[in-house]
Amino acid sequence: MSRLAEILPRRIDLHILFFALALTAIGIAMVVSTTAGSPRGDLAGKQIFFAVLGLIAAGVLLAIDYRILLQYSPGLYGFTLLVLLLLPIFGKRIAGARSWIKVGGGFQVQPSEFARISIALLLAWILESDDRALLRSRTIAAIGAAIGVPVVLVLLQPDLGVALTYLPFLAAALFFGGIPGRWWAVLIVSGTLAIGGSWFLLKDYQKDRIRTFLDPNLAARGAGYQVRQARIAIGSGGIFGKGWKRGTQSRLGFLPVRHTDFIFAALAEEWGFAGVAVFLALYGFLIAQGLALARDARDRGGSMLVVLLVLNIAAQALVNVAMNVGVMPTTGITLPFVSYGGSSLIATWCMVGLILSVAYRRYVNV
Amino acid sequence: MPASAREDRRPVLSRIDLVARGAWILIGVLAGVYWVHQVLRGEAYERQAENNRLRRVPVTAPRGFILDRNGIVLAENEPSFTLLLYRRETKDLDASLRFVAELFNRTFDDLKHRVERDRSYYDFVPVVLQENLTISEVGAVQARALEHPELVVQKTERRVYTQGTAAAHLLGHLGEATAEQVAARAKSRPLDANLPRPGEAIGQQGVESMYQELLAGVSGSRTYVIDSFGREVGESGHESPLPGNTLRLTIDLSLQKIAEDYFADKVGSAVALDPKTGEILALLSAPAYDPNFFTKRVSRSEWEDIVADPDHPLNNRVLQNVYSPGSIWKPYMAYAILTHGIDPRERVFCPGGATFYGRFFRCHGHHGSVDLTTALQVSCDTYFYTMGKRLGIDAIAESAGLFGFGRPTGIDLANEKSGIVPSPAWSLAARKHPWYLGETISVAIGQGPVLVTALQIARGMSGIANADGALPTPHLFHIGENVRTGERFVYRPESKESIPYPPGAHETIVEGLWRVVNMPGGTAYGSRVPGLDLCGKTGSVQVVGQKEAKKGHLLPEELRDHGWFASFAPRDDPKIVVVVFVEHGEHGATVAAPLAARLAEYWVAKGRGGTPELLAALAARPVGHARTD
Repeated sequence: MSRLAEILPRRIDLHILFFALALTAIGIAMVVSTTAGSPRGDLAGKQIFFAVLGLIAAGVLLAIDYRILLQYSPGLYGFTLLVLLLLPIFGKRIAGARSWIKVGGGFQVQPSEFARISIALLLAWILESDDRALLRSRTIAAIGAAIGVPVVLVLLQPDLGVALTYLPFLAAALFFGGIPGRWWAVLIVSGTLAIGGSWFLLKDYQKDRIRTFLDPNLAARGAGYQVRQARIAIGSGGIFGKGWKRGTQSRLGFLPVRHTDFIFAALAEEWGFAGVAVFLALYGFLIAQGLALARDARDRGGSMLVVLLVLNIAAQALVNVAMNVGVMPTTGITLPFVSYGGSSLIATWCMVGLILSVAYRRYVNV
Repeated sequence: MPASAREDRRPVLSRIDLVARGAWILIGVLAGVYWVHQVLRGEAYERQAENNRLRRVPVTAPRGFILDRNGIVLAENEPSFTLLLYRRETKDLDASLRFVAELFNRTFDDLKHRVERDRSYYDFVPVVLQENLTISEVGAVQARALEHPELVVQKTERRVYTQGTAAAHLLGHLGEATAEQVAARAKSRPLDANLPRPGEAIGQQGVESMYQELLAGVSGSRTYVIDSFGREVGESGHESPLPGNTLRLTIDLSLQKIAEDYFADKVGSAVALDPKTGEILALLSAPAYDPNFFTKRVSRSEWEDIVADPDHPLNNRVLQNVYSPGSIWKPYMAYAILTHGIDPRERVFCPGGATFYGRFFRCHGHHGSVDLTTALQVSCDTYFYTMGKRLGIDAIAESAGLFGFGRPTGIDLANEKSGIVPSPAWSLAARKHPWYLGETISVAIGQGPVLVTALQIARGMSGIANADGALPTPHLFHIGENVRTGERFVYRPESKESIPYPPGAHETIVEGLWRVVNMPGGTAYGSRVPGLDLCGKTGSVQVVGQKEAKKGHLLPEELRDHGWFASFAPRDDPKIVVVVFVEHGEHGATVAAPLAARLAEYWVAKGRGGTPELLAALAARPVGHARTD
């Protein structure tokens, strides 16, 4: 015991843990602020409960050797695909999408959030098996398939926001795995053509139709309403903000989906630019520390697993922050650690658990 | 360290470093975007956020009272109870409306329609269900307050015109401001921060409209905090309204009432003013309407009834209707005669008319040989025909212009008519044909194209009453009083106009007008009052040609002549000018002069310190029709 008490704090990366806990605490505070006094006042309590579950899940994953998980990753991935495949049939429909499984007690699980973990594990496993400077074409194809299949399944639910969170895996896997320059050219050109080209060919009303199809909230009061109100919330926060629970945009309901997608705008309104800067710095340190741990991982599999997870969290966070202020289109991507949502929070903490697990085993003699 | 001996980890490590730097750059860029919005543009967004959350609801200020010159209330505000429905508190609208329908004996559909029509975007803004509740109705609603929390009785203020139809035209009334009225006020008063809102009750017509700013006070406001659904969640500010000023008019209510009583069954107008100051002592147009009628919501059919009335009760006949002056034009003709080198002692023989320009012009009598004074006394047309021809139309027009005809008097009431002082230039401009010389003969006795208002006649008569020829500006504003500070402000419009009288001219005209009332043979001798020294001039205006008119009383009322009387008293120190006009009243002497005499008698008695008993008796004694002598 005494030895464990001695080495545990040294082995468990306290930096990552601190940043993740700080972000989660900020998230709970913002869920309280955005829901207190409203009919959704019970959500803050639930979020605390989810955070505890997330911490327990992270502890369990820390205890399991990630190499064992990498070995079993094809099986985990297969099970994930099966769940995603059956979801359109058995799933519970919420806001037009069959993305949920009822688990009793009034709780639902969103399997697509947890799918991110098994995808990351599978990708790390694939990348470990191909450790040359540049990836073989076969590996590239396998990576594409491993991400493409769940993306398609989640889009069928339909849940664009979650499907988009899988895409950073593709970029991260190919970038860190290493692919020839011509592949990058092909990817960038085809990607730009596919997304940009199809978008510019559409008429405005078709774009709105697609936007509102993918995110029904947009239809409620005109597509521009959410973005405009979020920007007013952010801008009116000024330098030091209006104070916790004093955001008029958020408390009076002008800010849409303020406890989930637009929770960062509520934070910006109540805590001002000072709060935004502190918050972004916390995220920056979390990403930097995560990447530092990836460098130190004892093997290629662990290293790849950590960069995949860190970049996934980072991409989601930055896209959400950009979306709140209106420099990226509204897509329904939540802010990791902060946005209300059990599946998202627990899955994110599972990812923290995996990162801690790799860090814990960075020394060969364990 | 690397697990695999084959692997070269350097490329991976350098990529990780690259990504770490890239992440910091992206975070920096995002922080920059937030900096722009929160720090550089923060204030603009703050205003938008405030606009989102705050709704300013104006609170109307209590309107100032309107008093007569003695402080008797003409218009005041009365507490009034209004039943409001708060939609936000309404659980079952139909049940609430059924309760109200039963209590007020109204139909359910009517109430439902009203709620549908008047509902505001914000559900905390209540709908008015019923106005002017009685105390027992208030009690009945409040007894069921627990059951119907959505029904609230609000104490408001209602404009009340205490004298009913009396002085209706000069007071005006309140009505909802139209968008055009608000725009017009905004244009004419660019610095006025207290413009009325469309739909707010503002003065329409009369002094209510003319002194809207003075009476209205300054609106206050309540500022509500609302949420994104428009629900009121709190009150963030309260600004008390500043009550309007009290307006004391120049009107004497007892004088006004004597005239009102007399005109109860007549159509026409009367105006009395102080010739020295221009203060209007009484101003009446009949038939009148009850301004209280406009305090409630006027239905379309009620409005159409008023507008379609052939007697046009909304018209203020004192200044908005123009008529031929007829014989009351003769004093102004006398001035033209006296100032154009004609000797007033020169005599004209009246055999019952005379021929001018090949046409015979009739006189209403055979006056024999008359000079100017006698011609005024007996109202001899032949004399004035003859002198009119000698003067020519330009000299007549010039004199009429001196007395203020052909242009507004400048009274503090809107929509005053100018009338017409005809001249050859006017004929070419307005009628596109030259002046006919024969028309000069008609104009000389106040017929033909000449048109005047009763108010112009009254102002012109002041120029005759005043020995110095001063021509005052008629006005109703007497004293304004700030109800909070007690500060009083008096305003009297300055008039620099006056009639220049050659020596003896003033006395000659006044003598003629004195004889009209006080000498046997004078056309208004029947209305003489001992000791009053009333001076005046009668007039009858033909509605149809003279041949039919000879049949006199057999004519239906609408074809009978209009009767005029223009007067002042006392002769030496005039205190009051009275002009009375009775439509289809036949002869000014019989229907108009008696009222003028009574008004003058009352006012002069009051000025001489008459006892209340005497004044009350004067006011109470019915004004009879004078005999035609």
